Amino acid sequence: MRNSFFTILILALIIAISGVLSIYSSTYQKEGAWQDIHLRQILWVTIGLVCFFIVSGLNYRKLWDANYFIYGAALFFLFLVFVLGITRLGAQRWLKIAWFNFQPSEFAKLAIIIFLARYFSRKSVDDTSLLSGKFGIFRGLILPFIFVGIPMFLIIEQPDLGSGLMLLFVFVCLLYLTNVRLKYILTFLTLIILPLPFFWHFLRDYQKQRLLVFLNPNIDPLGAGYTIIQSRIAIGSGGFFGRGWLSGSQSQLYFLPESHTDFIFATFSEQWGFLGSSLLILLYYLIIRQGFVIAQRTQDTFGRLLAYGISLLLSMQVFINIAMNMGLAPVVGLPLPLMSYGGSSILVTFIALGILVNIDRTRTVF
Amino acid sequence: MDRKIILNFFVIFMFIALLAGLFNLDLLQGSKFRKLSDSNCIRLISQLGARGNILDRNGEVIVNNKISYDVMVLPQDLSQIGPVLTKISRILGISTNELNAAFKKNFISASVPVTVASNIELKKAVALGEYKAEEPSIIIAPKPLRNYPYGALACHIIGYVNEIDRWRLTKLEDYGYKTKDIVGFGGVEEKYDYYLRQEEGGLSVEVNHRGKFMRVLGFQAPRNGKDVQLTIDLNIQKAAEEALSGKKGSAILMDAQSGEILALANYPNFNPAVFVNQRSKISRLFNNPDSPLVNRAIGSSYPPASIFKIVGSAAGLELKKINLSTTYVCSGSTMVGRRKFACWDTHGPQDIYQALAHSCDIFFYKTGLLMGAQSIHDYALKLGLGRTMGFELPYEVSGFIPSPLWRKINRFQNWFDGDTANLSIGQGDCLVTPLQATNMIAPFANGGYLLNPYIVKAIGGLDLSAKKKKLTAVNFRKSTLDVVTKGLRRVVSDKEGTGNVLSSLPVAVAGKTGTAQVTRGATHAWFVGFFPYENPKFIICVFLEHGGPGHAAVVCAKKIIEEMSLKGLI
Repeated sequence: MRNSFFTILILALIIAISGVLSIYSSTYQKEGAWQDIHLRQILWVTIGLVCFFIVSGLNYRKLWDANYFIYGAALFFLFLVFVLGITRLGAQRWLKIAWFNFQPSEFAKLAIIIFLARYFSRKSVDDTSLLSGKFGIFRGLILPFIFVGIPMFLIIEQPDLGSGLMLLFVFVCLLYLTNVRLKYILTFLTLIILPLPFFWHFLRDYQKQRLLVFLNPNIDPLGAGYTIIQSRIAIGSGGFFGRGWLSGSQSQLYFLPESHTDFIFATFSEQWGFLGSSLLILLYYLIIRQGFVIAQRTQDTFGRLLAYGISLLLSMQVFINIAMNMGLAPVVGLPLPLMSYGGSSILVTFIALGILVNIDRTRTVF
Repeated sequence: MDRKIILNFFVIFMFIALLAGLFNLDLLQGSKFRKLSDSNCIRLISQLGARGNILDRNGEVIVNNKISYDVMVLPQDLSQIGPVLTKISRILGISTNELNAAFKKNFISASVPVTVASNIELKKAVALGEYKAEEPSIIIAPKPLRNYPYGALACHIIGYVNEIDRWRLTKLEDYGYKTKDIVGFGGVEEKYDYYLRQEEGGLSVEVNHRGKFMRVLGFQAPRNGKDVQLTIDLNIQKAAEEALSGKKGSAILMDAQSGEILALANYPNFNPAVFVNQRSKISRLFNNPDSPLVNRAIGSSYPPASIFKIVGSAAGLELKKINLSTTYVCSGSTMVGRRKFACWDTHGPQDIYQALAHSCDIFFYKTGLLMGAQSIHDYALKLGLGRTMGFELPYEVSGFIPSPLWRKINRFQNWFDGDTANLSIGQGDCLVTPLQATNMIAPFANGGYLLNPYIVKAIGGLDLSAKKKKLTAVNFRKSTLDVVTKGLRRVVSDKEGTGNVLSSLPVAVAGKTGTAQVTRGATHAWFVGFFPYENPKFIICVFLEHGGPGHAAVVCAKKIIEEMSLKGLI
């Protein structure tokens, strides 16, 4: 029982430390405010760890009660981004709170998972069976989708297509895990996929560009395709053993943009090669596997769905981010959990892991 | 199946896909990406060494290098280029538009300096250098260029330098030659290009994504090419070229004992500097109908005419078809079969000495008919005709000596006595190069040895003459050599001798003239000889293309020898 606590803690700590090392290596040659960015990341990791300890001690069932408050807060912050959010790299994703920038979409992901987990694990008053088994198409699909759709729309409008689609993915996965009929899910998926060509017109120009260069980065090697090309070069030039700590030319001479945030995997991979990168992927897999194991041995439906949701969210973020680093997925603004620089992502990930640990800790109560 | 297990597999599949992608990038395509990564951040800035000098036998410079200056601009900040170019144009006196056009044409990337003007004078380079403090983007790069202090002198020996062509590139790629390399064409520049060639050195530097210099990764000093010392004596070369000037043809002076070429002059000639700084004139050189680029001394062959009588007399004496008492009466013509073969004059009774001195055709017709065509052919080959001699300059041709067998096989025709008669006076299909003619007479000057003519004495200070000097005995009887040598002397000493003009020289000359009939235009004039007669040191060969009778060549040779004795070179 204490096992999962330490396993997750150690795994997360190793990943976070390698993240700090990568951030340091990619920014130590830059001047001015960039130089202490790794210190700020250390601070975030420390705060994250504190949150992890606190959350892992709080009973997760309290989330059940706080559900509407959390959902409401997430919506509120997302609205606030529209009004007060600061614009960086062409997207309005951040709220300036005191001395740091807060990214509500990170928080919203967790909020949605909590909301859906609760929604699908309600029981009728007189019966101990789950309500979700009896859900029709409206209550099983449309209603929850409206609840997911509002924050999703707000996030996509920021614009942050990656995080928005992440919500959609979590939604579909949780639908799949509850007893909602397969028929509904398939209908839903068809409804999403069919009008995709139509959605093309709603994409922003840069998003279209990114999708096009995903298909062929060389159509615009100095513009939209530049990042993918440089990131692939960075990863590939690592070879088997990598170029060594602080000797990656791609990330240290700034050929690779966003080398400390979204493209930190490329930075890491250039320096540690195939060996280090596959170990890192393995570490991520072990954390996610730990989440699945916790989900499987939890009897409480809410806890189970919550654990699945968190693990799936993590795995999908890791997959999309690393795949886009390798040019296997289009470039979307998704950070690599635990590694990329950014307070919101680090905090939310540690809190999510804390919830996971707590689910495992509390399960014997039932 | 349980939905949870399916989801589990889905996640496992995702991570396996990531590992596969990583495997592909790192291990399958790793080396490609490593190269791309290096080309991202490593820049080479080359520094040129100087091509080796070409010296004459006394160490005097025939070709060297002068420093020229290129003005380059480092285009780190494109908005600054305009004012910088204006400044440069003010100093150089070149219009801004021209500089701008050059800049646009040569621009590669922000980290590579762009050449905007080349070959500027030292004064202007210094003036621009003053500006460097306030405009650090101006770079003045010294570049060694070929310099020809004597202009066209010895141009066919030297050759010229130019950008490498496609054919040479495919041939030389494996030896480290690259596109746009400057290589030698023709002459020593081509043949010894590998030694003369400088080794490019330079800096390899690391730059960041803006092309900003980060640090130096390595430096290799450029290396100059090796100097090539020739056997040419510049004074003799000058004398030969002066005597030849205005007359199409070539003149060769060779050391009679060692085979060192002391002078090798051709006219028309060209100035190799044209290829360095007057490139607009190049096409005129190539289109000139007189083909000034051809090295006539080795690159084209001509009928030898009467100088071939040296072969005839040596062969006749060796084969004992004639001796000192053999006398034929020259009545101006003789019948060979049903055709009448004329002599150029009526000489009366002629023995071997007189026949050589007067160049009597009748004597050699008859001697030739006695020996037969095959013997003449064989002796011609013994004297080095009819094949290349592996001379050091490129594009040597072999010349040609016909024989009955050759005619049968290649022309499907029979060989007639008339052909033998023609061959014995060096007419017909017979062709020799001036250098072959020079070597042909060597055995009579040095007591029976064919030489291996050579022109490069030392490379990079290493003396090669011991290796190059090669004597081939022709194995003629001493009496034969003596008789022919005396006969050659009589060409000059006899009052009636065809080369009598030379008798007024302070030095005793022996030799043979020749007047080659050609199908169209004036005759070719030949003179081959050696001097001083008692103790031969020099072999001289003068050939004038369409230069008239052999006398013209003798006059030319006289000028050269006079000049040499005036300068005390003999």
